Amino acid sequence: MKKISSSSWAFLIILSFITGCGQGTPEKPVIKIGCAAPLTGDQAQIGIDTCHGVQLAIDQANEKNASSSYKFEALSLDDQHNPAQAVNAAKKFVADRDVLAVVGHFNSSCTKPASAIYHEARLTQVTAASTNPEISRQGFDTFFRVAATDDVQGPRGADFVAKKLSIKKVFVIDDKTTYGKGLADEFEKESRKLGVIILGHEGITQGDKDFSSLLTKIAPSNPDLIYFGGIYPEGALLIRQARALNIRAAFMGGDGLVTPVFIQLATPEIAEGTYATMVGGDMKKLPSAQEFISAYEKHYGKLGQWSAYGYDAANILITAIQKASQKDRETVLRAMREIPKFEGVTGEIVFDEKGDNQKQFIGIFKVEKGEFTYLGPAE
Amino acid sequence: MKQQGLGAGHYKKKRLRKLTGLDISDHVKAFFLFTFVLIFPLFDKNPYHIDVMVTAGIFMLLALGLNVIVGSAGILNLGYAAFYAVGAYAYALINLHFKIPFWPGLLVSGFITALFGMLLAFPALRLGGDYLAIVTLGFGEITRIALNNLDRITGGPNGLLGIDHPTVQLPFYKYDFGVQSEPYYFLVFSLVAIVAFFLKRLESSRLGRAWVAIREDELAASCMGVNLGWVKLSAFGIGGFIAGIAGCVFAAKQGTVSPDSFDFVVSVMILAMIVLGGLGNVWGAILGAFVLSLLPELLRGFDIYRMLLFGIAMILMMILRPQGILGRKINLIQSKTSS
Amino acid sequence: MHGQSIFLQQIVNGLTIGMIYALIALGYTIVYGILQLINFAHGEVFMVGAYLGLLACTLLQAIPSGPVGVPLVITAVVLSMAGTAALGVVIERFAYRPLRNSSRLAPLITAIGVSFLLQNAVMLIFGPSDKSFPEILKVRNYSFGAVTLTNLQILIAFTSLLLMILLHIFIKNTATGKAMRALADDSIAANLVGVNSNRIISMAFLIGSALAGAGGVMFGMYYNTINFHDGYLIGLKAFTAAVLGGIGNVPGAMVGGLLIGILESLGAGYLSSEWKNVFAFFILILILLFRPSGLFGPRIMKKV
Repeated sequence: MKKISSSSWAFLIILSFITGCGQGTPEKPVIKIGCAAPLTGDQAQIGIDTCHGVQLAIDQANEKNASSSYKFEALSLDDQHNPAQAVNAAKKFVADRDVLAVVGHFNSSCTKPASAIYHEARLTQVTAASTNPEISRQGFDTFFRVAATDDVQGPRGADFVAKKLSIKKVFVIDDKTTYGKGLADEFEKESRKLGVIILGHEGITQGDKDFSSLLTKIAPSNPDLIYFGGIYPEGALLIRQARALNIRAAFMGGDGLVTPVFIQLATPEIAEGTYATMVGGDMKKLPSAQEFISAYEKHYGKLGQWSAYGYDAANILITAIQKASQKDRETVLRAMREIPKFEGVTGEIVFDEKGDNQKQFIGIFKVEKGEFTYLGPAE
Repeated sequence: MKQQGLGAGHYKKKRLRKLTGLDISDHVKAFFLFTFVLIFPLFDKNPYHIDVMVTAGIFMLLALGLNVIVGSAGILNLGYAAFYAVGAYAYALINLHFKIPFWPGLLVSGFITALFGMLLAFPALRLGGDYLAIVTLGFGEITRIALNNLDRITGGPNGLLGIDHPTVQLPFYKYDFGVQSEPYYFLVFSLVAIVAFFLKRLESSRLGRAWVAIREDELAASCMGVNLGWVKLSAFGIGGFIAGIAGCVFAAKQGTVSPDSFDFVVSVMILAMIVLGGLGNVWGAILGAFVLSLLPELLRGFDIYRMLLFGIAMILMMILRPQGILGRKINLIQSKTSS
Repeated sequence: MHGQSIFLQQIVNGLTIGMIYALIALGYTIVYGILQLINFAHGEVFMVGAYLGLLACTLLQAIPSGPVGVPLVITAVVLSMAGTAALGVVIERFAYRPLRNSSRLAPLITAIGVSFLLQNAVMLIFGPSDKSFPEILKVRNYSFGAVTLTNLQILIAFTSLLLMILLHIFIKNTATGKAMRALADDSIAANLVGVNSNRIISMAFLIGSALAGAGGVMFGMYYNTINFHDGYLIGLKAFTAAVLGGIGNVPGAMVGGLLIGILESLGAGYLSSEWKNVFAFFILILILLFRPSGLFGPRIMKKV
């Protein structure tokens, strides 16, 4: 008999060893709610904030229902604001039969492709932060959204700039993501309608650090305001470098800027006076929010703006799951659709047929004394 | 000379060898691999696990492709992810704009990527060793940035959505692969089998030997009449074609493509796979891809340590066993004495 | 008038980052000159330098009667340089020295492995989010005509030039410096006249890594946000600078760094800011295709 070469043996042994190591998970009476967001990387803070909110809601639900026959569990997956990873995370959630609903994702560029996966699997999905309007226009009945949409946020921002600030010349910058570009485009469209002069609209790349060349190019046209559609890491760098180049224009953005990390990265002195629209108002004014804020700060420390949205999203799902007569995905989805309205810590939430929140509230925030302070509602 | 019994088995083996052109050890490995691939879905029905195997399969294709360039021909390529990206985006674009379905799309993206690879090879024809590696890296980065910036064509950082999945026209019924993992599983491993077979045959062909020649000593090879230019170009062409079909499968499976999936880490991963498995060795490429694709899944609890351990493993591997698992102690790429 | 001032401003912006590229490029060039090795992990040493600088700044600020302002910056730079110098020596000793006589591919892959190791170690220790430097220097603008300079930019320029001059003096006049040049020229002959290869190579890594560390601290202070991913791209651009100047050529690396910084800045300002990172790569590929020896390197004759 011809000998099988040693390399073949090595090949075989390794193959069998590797595959022998897979195990199946034992059954537990656990209902999982997924949380998909950027948990590592430059946008980790807002992702972590969101998932902490989800975790808090789940812990509180377990405490309140200690005697029930099942237990809630949070399952957080990282998508690193990368659409392909978001799709992978979605597939992981779908494959896990214990997962009955998902809070996710954070970035619109991730939520959009993931929503197709969830829709196919009849898995309920609530996003706490994706504001791009196109996602709900796809007609997926599994998609729900707690936050407002950019076709409302952008124009309201433009309104504020034109009417309240009486600004004439604006330069628009975006980070070319689904969210940033969408928001900036909506802002620009409405601003033009209101007679504001748009000096230019340029894109930057997420992850880039040096914008001094772009800002040097903008400086001579002397804008009154620079509007940035994008997220806080780039936003902070933009405003810092603008000030270093002696550009005195005011700075404004959308909900992607609204986090204490923005102020920290830009330094409070430079961040002072920055405006931002936010999908929601001043949480501190709502009585229901006070309990949430103190509970959150006890467990996780400083509250991030997005923690509340994760919290509300999770709580709506918990309500739906508790109401569902059978604990499976289709019944949970139906129960979701039957919730008439929900009082959350971020305000009232009523879903329309597309899954959007009818009670869209846009607030204007301004950085004052090192904190994002609520100015008032955008008209 | 070994004594061989001349029974009926001997003639069967000889015929089989004549048929496929491969030797016994390859047949044995292929048999076990086939059996494993066929049996696996029967034992493990977890759709996520099947999905992981599909990803492993795609990386097997990529490893096989890079192995042609780096392992067989000895040309160091640090930007292979760009080829992968071109294949994926090529299918995405022709599918979205011209409605070309998956099966012809597979060949088209293969050829487009092959062309891309050959265009990239032009500077490679003159450069050597280190500089070449950096040039390929540069091209890899340029491709990724271009995909990110040309947003009107490529969708920018958000990428492209709504790519068609493969469909098969059965009598009375159009079967769409959709988002289930099983059909991709069989598709991918069939491709792996076809490509591996083709590459194995290529090894003993004139082109395959020419690659070995230029890998070992370019100067001597050209003196013996090997046309360096064409041989190098064909390595990039074939390596490119394989990456192209891998990319096409990836795009069709995901339904979306975005630049983030094709960064430098991916290029390094694939390189590590073939180095781990043994450079220049077709089975090595398959094994290396299999191990490195599955490792992160097995280390699931250690997710954050994954890349750290990967880095350490690479260092140790080079110090302790640079020829990989199935490699022979051959001269890896160009040694210090050649230019 | 306006056009001219934008142009000058872009130059100023470019020069600042160019100084940092130059410091890092020097590390690449010194090591390549002696070992013909592209130290792929050098960019990560730069990144570690930035984080060490962050640590140093935070610690020094916590000392009640400690240094403030410019002295604090200098102290942080020195401390960071010490740290990265040690790191460089350790990397050489354990990852590269065992492979000194093997093929080209092995050290390259090891270097990539070291690069991953460093990146992820930093990520695990410091966390994945961007980190910001504490406010050390109050940023002040100085306007010369229509060009604006910040005090930080002036400090960076001054420190970088000082370090580069010190390096030049070192290589030209000290025994170790001469030994390095000897090894780079002809390693066999150098060994024959008694040059201790191991010691000199360690020295080369020490100096190169120290410079990268200095670059890292200043980079961190200039942009204020640092992330464990920063090393990769900056490292690649600095390598381009080294090749542009003629790899192995020390003054070449300095000039190369400044040039890349300026070209990038002008490209981003006048052509397109999105494609900024691509300019460096294009320049790299063009040089390698048409003049691989760079601006100041010897003309390489193709051996037949």
